[in-house]
Amino acid sequence: MSTPLNPALSLSELDLPRRNGELAFDAPWQSTVFALAAAVVDHAYGGDREPFRRQLIKAVAAEPDRPYWESWTAALEALVATLPDR
Amino acid sequence: MSEESHHPAAVSPIERRVAALEAMLTERGLVPGGFIDEITRRYESEIGPMNGAKVVARAWADPAYKKRLLTDGTAAVAELGFGGAEGDHMVVVANTAAIHNVIVCTLCSCYPWPVLGLPPAWYKDPPYRARMVREPRTVLAEMGCELPGDTEIRVWDSSAEVRYLVLPERPSGTEGMTEAELAALVTRDSMIGVARL
Repeated sequence: MSTPLNPALSLSELDLPRRNGELAFDAPWQSTVFALAAAVVDHAYGGDREPFRRQLIKAVAAEPDRPYWESWTAALEALVATLPDR
Repeated sequence: MSEESHHPAAVSPIERRVAALEAMLTERGLVPGGFIDEITRRYESEIGPMNGAKVVARAWADPAYKKRLLTDGTAAVAELGFGGAEGDHMVVVANTAAIHNVIVCTLCSCYPWPVLGLPPAWYKDPPYRARMVREPRTVLAEMGCELPGDTEIRVWDSSAEVRYLVLPERPSGTEGMTEAELAALVTRDSMIGVARL
């Protein structure tokens, strides 16, 4: 028998009558690293999301069970390491 | 002096890494002042799932719009002023009495941000991504979405090329409602396809 998808889910989300507008971030560092990736995509890659997306797929595949925003952080670190020196 | 005073519990290793990234990127001039707050605010409020709810309500209220939406999702969504990053290639799939659609991204977390805001935490969980493809009926039931045995379930795998949005069925008893009232009925989860209305 399979285990429940996410035990916390039924309590924290599915029982709520309205789910729209739910905050997507659990901690400030998560929204910060999200916005930092947006900044790099916009200002270092001219809006091209592909380089970051490729790093994100790599980071998620490398450690599938790592929390998502930590993979996101690793992906951004890897991308930033490829930026040309000033 | 206690050990804790040297290592404040408030700052975790991941927070340190993010702070280091922020400092380095700011120094390189890639993060304008106020940019982080502005981006966060926009994704959490303006760009949230209410955009998608407006699209769904319009499709329920206007059969011609529904037809355009199902034919060319990107253009029909743009008619309402939504689009941009991550919404370039929208494909809208309609639920019927016989067919239930659900979206997932098996590779990472591709998601129609302009219409649904930021993805919920579980959408990014490896178990959701893997199991929804393998055993959608079971996963949906675990999430509180029990479907009749003869309902066909279609799982759509989002990618950088195509972002899917589920058009839920219009609930019965809503015939006299305005578009705004209809939009208020639409939940994010119903547009991912893990809930029915």
